[in-house]
Amino acid sequence: MTGWFNAHFVSMVDGVAYGLLLFTLAVGLSLVFGMMDVLNLAHGTLYLAGAYAAYALSDGSWLGLVIALAVGLVVGLVGGGLLAAAVAPLQGRGHLDQAALTLGISLIAAEVMVMLFGAEVLPTAPPAALGGSVSLLGHTYPVYRLAFIGIAAVLAALVYLAFERSSVGALVRATVADRDMVRAMGVDTRKVLFGVFGFGAALAAVGGVLGAPIIAPGPGIDERVLVLSLVVVVIGGLGSVRGALLGALLIGQVQTLGVALVPSYAPFLLFGAMLLVLALRPQGLFAPGRA
Amino acid sequence: MTARRTPFLIAAAAAGALALSACGGGTLGGGEEEAGSGGPIKIGLLVPQSGVYKSLGDDMKAGFEVYLEEHDNQLGGVEVEVILADEGETADSGKAAADKLVKQDEVDVVTGVVSSAVMNGVVDLFETSKIPLVGSNASPTTLTDATYIWRTSYVNDQPGEALGAYVAEQVDGSVYFLAADYQAGLDEVTGFKRSFDAAGGETADEVYTPFPGTTNFQPFLSNAKSSGAEALFSFYAGGAAVEFVKQYDQFGLLGEIDHYSAGFLTEGGVLDAQGESALGTFTAMNYNFDLDNELNASFVEAYEAKTGLKPTTYAMASYDAAHVLDLAIEAAGGEDADSESINAAIGEIEEVESPRGTWTWSEIGTPVQTWYLREVQEVDGGLANVVIQELGEL
Amino acid sequence: MSALQVRRSLLVGLVAFGLLMVPWVFGAFTVSTFTRALVFAVLAMAVNLLTGVAGMPTLGQAAYFGVGAYAGALVSIHWSELGVVQLVVATLAGVVAAVLTGPLAIRGRGVAFLMITLAIGEIGHSAAGRLDAVTGGTDGLSGIRPVVVLPGSEGLVNEGLIYYYVLVVAVLAYLGVGVLLRSPFGLTLRGLRDNEARLRAVGYRTDAYALGAYVYAGGLAALAGSLWASSQRFVAPGDMGFEIAALALLAVIVGGVGSMWGACLGAALVVFTRDYFGQIVSGHAPLLLGILFVLAVYLLPKGIAGGRAQWRSLFPAARAARTTGETT
Repeated sequence: MTGWFNAHFVSMVDGVAYGLLLFTLAVGLSLVFGMMDVLNLAHGTLYLAGAYAAYALSDGSWLGLVIALAVGLVVGLVGGGLLAAAVAPLQGRGHLDQAALTLGISLIAAEVMVMLFGAEVLPTAPPAALGGSVSLLGHTYPVYRLAFIGIAAVLAALVYLAFERSSVGALVRATVADRDMVRAMGVDTRKVLFGVFGFGAALAAVGGVLGAPIIAPGPGIDERVLVLSLVVVVIGGLGSVRGALLGALLIGQVQTLGVALVPSYAPFLLFGAMLLVLALRPQGLFAPGRA
Repeated sequence: MTARRTPFLIAAAAAGALALSACGGGTLGGGEEEAGSGGPIKIGLLVPQSGVYKSLGDDMKAGFEVYLEEHDNQLGGVEVEVILADEGETADSGKAAADKLVKQDEVDVVTGVVSSAVMNGVVDLFETSKIPLVGSNASPTTLTDATYIWRTSYVNDQPGEALGAYVAEQVDGSVYFLAADYQAGLDEVTGFKRSFDAAGGETADEVYTPFPGTTNFQPFLSNAKSSGAEALFSFYAGGAAVEFVKQYDQFGLLGEIDHYSAGFLTEGGVLDAQGESALGTFTAMNYNFDLDNELNASFVEAYEAKTGLKPTTYAMASYDAAHVLDLAIEAAGGEDADSESINAAIGEIEEVESPRGTWTWSEIGTPVQTWYLREVQEVDGGLANVVIQELGEL
Repeated sequence: MSALQVRRSLLVGLVAFGLLMVPWVFGAFTVSTFTRALVFAVLAMAVNLLTGVAGMPTLGQAAYFGVGAYAGALVSIHWSELGVVQLVVATLAGVVAAVLTGPLAIRGRGVAFLMITLAIGEIGHSAAGRLDAVTGGTDGLSGIRPVVVLPGSEGLVNEGLIYYYVLVVAVLAYLGVGVLLRSPFGLTLRGLRDNEARLRAVGYRTDAYALGAYVYAGGLAALAGSLWASSQRFVAPGDMGFEIAALALLAVIVGGVGSMWGACLGAALVVFTRDYFGQIVSGHAPLLLGILFVLAVYLLPKGIAGGRAQWRSLFPAARAARTTGETT
C-alpha cells in the first residue's frame, strides 16, 4: 500500500494543484450559469487573457507578477462586465442564443490575441524565486506548483466563506435558488448578475495569471479550459461553490492520478468520469435546491 | 405586403454568380490548363504557421527564403512565386491547406510539411494530381513507394535507429520510452528499438502521450521515475518539447535518468525556452550548425544575418529543398518546365551539396547521410547542441 | 395557385437552378467548398432535428458523423467502391451507434443532455484517435477510392461530378427529413420541444420518442459522414471533434432553430465564411465566424429563416418606401 502511495504521491499532489486551478475557473461559470441561466462560453477566453498577461508582464521578478495580477484582475472585471452587458439584451431567449453569442465573442477575442501574441503556445516561466524544485517526502516537486496550491487554497477558502457565510453570499445564493423572490424583495437582480459575472470573470483571469506556468497560453487553450470548466460545473452542480470545489478537485485527480494509473486511457478519463456522474446524478453531485 | 426583396436578392445572387464565371473556368466544360505556359513557376510552401509546430514552420520558411535570396529569387533560371499556406497542427488542417494550394492556387510544386500526420493525409492528393512534393521535414516510414513525394530531411525512424546501438552499449540497465502518440513518435521508437534490441538493450516500458493535447507530462514522468529505468528515450518537438524538457527537470528526472532523444527535442528556438533544464540531454541529428564545411559556413552566415538565429535542421532541409528544385527546374528546361518534367528531373539528381555534407537519393526518395550525436552544453555563456561523435550513415 | 405559392415555387426553382449550375460556373476549389457546404448542411439538419424540432440541443452529432465517415471509408477501402453501399452501411453504423448511446443521452434534458452529448462526442473523438488499427489514429484514413455511382463505371474524380453526387444525396436527405417532419412522429417531436411534461401527462412515452429522434439524427449524421469520406477522400479524428459539433450547432442557430432550410443555409454560410472568405483574410477564419455569430444573434434573433418580421425591422427605410404606394 505504501509502495503504491509512494509511487503516486507526486501525481496526487499535482492533482490538487490542477484541481485548485480548475476551481478558480469553474466557480465563476457555475455561479453565472446557476444563477442567471446564462451559458457563458467565453469563459475560457478570460483564462487565456490572464495567461497572456502573465506571459507579457511576468518577467521573473515579484513586481512583474504583481503587475500581471493587477492587469489580469482589471481585464477580468472589464471582460466580465462587457460579457454581462452583451448578454443582457438576450434575456429570456434561452441558452442557444447565449451560447452562439458568447462563442462568437470568444472566437473574435481569441483571434485578436493570436494577432497580438502570435500563434504558438508560449511557455511561461514563474517568478525566478519560485522556479526551482524542492524535495517532498523524497520526491522532487516544482516549488511554483506548491506555492500555487497554497495561494489557490487560500483563494478557494475565501470564496467559499464569502459565499456561505457573508450576507452578500446569502444574496447570491438566494438569487440562484429563486430569482423572482429576490426581485420581489426589492433587490435589483441585474446588479447581482453584473457583480457575479464580473467576480467570476476576474477570478478566471487571475487564475490565468497564476496558472500560466502550469497551463501555458496559446491558441486552442481557451477551448480546452472551457471544456474542463464545463465538466467541473456539470459534475459539481450548477450554482454551487462547494460543488465547484469538490468537482474541480475530483477532476484534478482524474487528470493526474488517473492518467498515471491508466496512461493508455488518458484521453477518455475526463469524459468517462463526467458520464458516470451524470448517469448516476444528472443534476450534479452538489446541486443546490431550487424553488 | 411584400417579400419582393427575397426573390430579388436571390436573383441578384444568381446574376453575381454568373458574372463570377468570367473570372474562373468551370470544373465541368471549362478549359483545360495549358502546360508549361511560361511565366513564374508557382511554388507552394506548406508549413505550420500556428500551433505546436509553428517555430519549425518559421525555420523552414526562412531556410527556403535564404536560398532564394542567394539566387535572385530564381530557381533553375526562372522567376518563382512562393505561395504560403498554413499546415496547422492536425491532419485535416494540413490537408485543407494542401487542397487550396493544389486546386485553387494551382501551384507547380509544393515543399515543406512538418507533421507526419499531414504527410499521410496529403500523399493521395499529390499522387492523384501529379504535383511533386519536396518535403523538408515529415517522412513517415510507411511512405516507401510514392512517385511524386520526395524528402530532403530523413526518414522518421532514422534518428532513433542511429542512437539505439550507442545507448544499448552505454546504458547499464533498462530504458524507458516516452513519445508523442502519432506516426512520427511511433516511427522514432520503432527505429530506436530496431538497433537497440539488436544490440541487446532492455526495455522498461513504452508509453505514448496523447498528441497534440498533452501539456502536463507529470503523470507520465512520475511513472518513468518509479520504473527504475537508467535512461529514457523520448520524441517531442516544438511546443511540446519545451514543456517536456522543463518538466523533466522540475520533477527530478534530470541528472537521475539519462535523457536521450531525437534531435528535435532541443533544436532551435525551443532550446532557449528550455533554458538550463536541457543541459546534459543527448540527441541524434543529421545536422548541426557547427559542422565544418564551406557551404555550411556561408549558410550559417546568411541565415544568421536574416533571422539572428543559428540555423536548425528544419531550415537546412528547406534550404536543400530549394537547391533540389533549382537543379530540377534547370534540368527540366527552365521556362518550359511543368510539374511532370520537374518531378522526373528531381529523380535524376546525382548528388546534392548541402550544409550537412553531400548526400544522394535513397531508393525511396530520401537522403543517405551521416548522423551525429550531440549533447546540450554551455557554450559562450549560452546553450547549444555540441557534436560529440558520429553515429554512422543511414 | 395563390400568389404566395407562385412566389415560393419560383424561389425553389431559382435555388435549384443555381445549385445545378455551380460546377459550370466555378473553379475546382470553389466547387469543393460547395460540396463541403452540402455535406455540412446534412449534418446541420441532423443537429436541427434534435435541437430545433425535438427541443434537445446537442453537441454530439459530430460523433455519428465520424462513425459514418469512417464506416464509409472502410467500406470503400476494403469492400466496395459503390456509393450506395457505402451510404447504406454508414447510415446503419450511425443508427447502431445511436441506439447504443442514445439511452444514456436521453436520461438528461437541457444542459444535462447537452453535456452528455458533448461527452459522447469527445469520447468518440478520442476513440478515433486511439484505434490505430481501424481508423488510422491521429494520422487519419487515406487511400479512400473514388466513389462509383453505377456498377461498372469509373470512380468520380472530377470535383464537379462529386458535387452532383453529394447534391443528389443531400436533396434526398432533405426530402426525407421533410417527410418525417410532416408525419405524426414529427408532430409529436414538436410537442416534445414545446412541453414535454404535458405530453407525458397525456400518455405519450416521451422517452421513446426522444430516443427515436436521437437514432434518426444519428443515422442522418452518419449519412453526411459517408458523403464527407467520398468527397474529401480523407477522414481524420478532427472531423468529429468539438469544433465540428459546435459549428454545426451554431449553423443551426444562425439559420433559424427549427427550420430545415434555415439549417442548410446556416451551414452553407458557416462553411463559406470559414473556407472561402477565411482564405481571403489569410487564415483569420475564426474571426469572421465570430463576427458572423455575434451579428446573427443580435440582428436576426430567430435566425435567417426566422420570419420576415425581423428582416423588415432591419431595413426600416425600405419599409417606409414600401408603404408609400407600392403594389405587390
